Amino acid sequence: MAIQDFLVASILLSCFIATSYGVSFSSLPETLVVTASPQPGQVLKAGEDTITVSWLLNTSSPAGIDFAYKTVKVKLCYAPISQRDRAWRKTVDDLEKDKTCQHMIVAKAYSSSNNNFTWIVQKDVPTATYFIRAYVYDSNNKEVAYGQTTNSNKATNLFDVQAITGRHVSLDIASVCFSAFSVVSLLGFFFLEKRRSKASQAK
Amino acid sequence: MAEKEIGSPGSSMHGVTGKEQTFDFSVANDQTVTSDSTAKFKLPVDSEHKAKVFKIYSLAKPHMRTFHLSWIAFFTCFVSTFAAAPLVPIIRDNLNLTKRDIGNAGIASVSGSIFSRLVMGAACDLLGPRYSCAFLIMLSAPTVFCMTFVSSPGGYVAVRFMIGFSLATFVSCQFWMSTMFNGKIIGLVNGTAAGWGNMGGGATQLLMPLLYEVIRRAGSRPFTAWRIAFYVPGWMHVIMGLLVLGLGQDLPDGNLGSLQKRGDVPKDKFSKVLWYAVTNYRTWIFVLLYGMSLGVELTTDNVIAEYFYDRFDLNLHTAGTIAATFGMANIISRPLGGLMSDIAARRFGMRGRLWNLWILQTLGGVFCICLGRATTLSLSITSMILFSIGAQAACGATFGIIPFISRRSLGVISGLTGAGGNFGSGLTQLLFFTSSKYSTATGLSLMGIMIVACTLPVALVHFPQWGSMFLPPSEKWTEEYYYEKEWNKEEKERGLHQGSLKFAENSRSERGRRVVSVAVPRPQPDTTEAHV
Repeated sequence: MAIQDFLVASILLSCFIATSYGVSFSSLPETLVVTASPQPGQVLKAGEDTITVSWLLNTSSPAGIDFAYKTVKVKLCYAPISQRDRAWRKTVDDLEKDKTCQHMIVAKAYSSSNNNFTWIVQKDVPTATYFIRAYVYDSNNKEVAYGQTTNSNKATNLFDVQAITGRHVSLDIASVCFSAFSVVSLLGFFFLEKRRSKASQAK
Repeated sequence: MAEKEIGSPGSSMHGVTGKEQTFDFSVANDQTVTSDSTAKFKLPVDSEHKAKVFKIYSLAKPHMRTFHLSWIAFFTCFVSTFAAAPLVPIIRDNLNLTKRDIGNAGIASVSGSIFSRLVMGAACDLLGPRYSCAFLIMLSAPTVFCMTFVSSPGGYVAVRFMIGFSLATFVSCQFWMSTMFNGKIIGLVNGTAAGWGNMGGGATQLLMPLLYEVIRRAGSRPFTAWRIAFYVPGWMHVIMGLLVLGLGQDLPDGNLGSLQKRGDVPKDKFSKVLWYAVTNYRTWIFVLLYGMSLGVELTTDNVIAEYFYDRFDLNLHTAGTIAATFGMANIISRPLGGLMSDIAARRFGMRGRLWNLWILQTLGGVFCICLGRATTLSLSITSMILFSIGAQAACGATFGIIPFISRRSLGVISGLTGAGGNFGSGLTQLLFFTSSKYSTATGLSLMGIMIVACTLPVALVHFPQWGSMFLPPSEKWTEEYYYEKEWNKEEKERGLHQGSLKFAENSRSERGRRVVSVAVPRPQPDTTEAHV
């Protein structure tokens, strides 16, 4: 039966989930210096404004530290104020479960300098306060280092994004038309029946 | 007089043919139920022209057609009321919602219909279920379409509140079944209609994400796609409303308005109908009880996906699928509760129905406690399934009893009970699932304890003519006496109580096995009887 198969599948899935752990964020060294174009407190419009990000290896890092660095993924991350009362954006040390950075800006091959990228803020980015973080991955696709535009408390250099509403005039008009149709056809039916029963009474 | 078939009781071949109905969804050949063979219906009917047979695959007018119109209309309203729940991950980003906003919207979605179910009860008594259902479902279609306009948390809560009004179609559904089907099978019929309607809460968890995905792949942005997805439930409202108006009828003999004009069905006064509902103490016990079966079911519909998502770190798709399973169990568990009620009544009468209800609802509470305390996923899912069966079967069992509390005020009592269900849902969500004092798991355990405690009052429900869980019936009370008490002398002189008398006769089945030894009731002048 479908329910039995489902039970077996979910038991297996839960075993799998329980045994996979991610890299711990607190173990990562901050070896990248990341800068971005938005000014602190600036409000960017989703779908219209752009962000220019640039990153390079911190020159005071020991030599050879970037030996294992393969790729860099730059992400848009929620500031603590936008995580409050919203458990689906929670910061957790285990990077497999961490939900702080949910929007990908760009993924590029690693190079120690001369990296920049201009990104139009996507239309599915919600209204919130953000900072930018870049994770560095090795050839096994595991995080090995990071860099971010804000400080360790995630309190400085934050900017806002104003999302699209998702509403369109055409949708609004269609809704009004459909609603009107519903009400009018109901009342029409009702009065038609009343008139028909009056006519049959009169006969 | 009905023909004597070979093998009917009293004939020489009875018990030998092998075709005796031992257990069936039919009381067509049951000699303790009246028959009217002069009536020209596709299904066999009793003296009130209510069907004695429940044929699920048929669309026979008017009984089975009404059944299908009614449950699909109710299903549609459940789909639209809970349509937002699986899309919350998108909506919360679009509207910048907090957990508190989402919780409030959940409470709002079930609170709206507390009021509308009360009004619906009265409307069914006075206007008939066909118009009541059609009006509600078509006037709530605009509220579903309103989702396209929502741009703030306040607007979201308000629209969910308004869409929730449509859950009152439950009352018209149950009322309509009670006018169309005989009391001996009413438990099963009501349970099936309501169960399949409640399934909408599960179906929507699968339907809405699917619609959203299709619309997004067609090129829409996420924050627009979820709004367009709401057009589908909106149109379902309109289509079902038109079908109900076009194909439905209030009573087996016709529509309420025309029957009242012809003088076949007397017009009743709302104040009287309300009075006899409110002064019957059984009404209030069932208001409480239903809050602990349907109420907890609606609450669980709103919180269960989040529970699995948080406690076991499942992804949203998996959590949503499990949430859908809870709602979809209604396809069998609620009809099962009604059926068990009917089976218990065959042997033990009303006492059987009451014990059946207490057992099912208490078991539901016990498994709810288990669900809250489960620490492994498999134990959790097992507890959830058993909890869903217990709670949903209890809902079915409740409406196997409600039609017998009162004949005159059935609509208002159904409405009050339905409202009580929603009130129970709002209350349990507020007590256990809104503050951060309890985790969702602890909240579930506490809710289970509340269910067990608040189900005990079933023992207090006493019908003088049939008894209660622990007390026997009073000797001098007959069914006629109980149902006639709702009419005063003047009304009886005008003959307004004839409908109640017919119902009383048909309700004699609630004596259980004792029916056989009852004296033959006085014959009605306008019906044929098939008593052996």
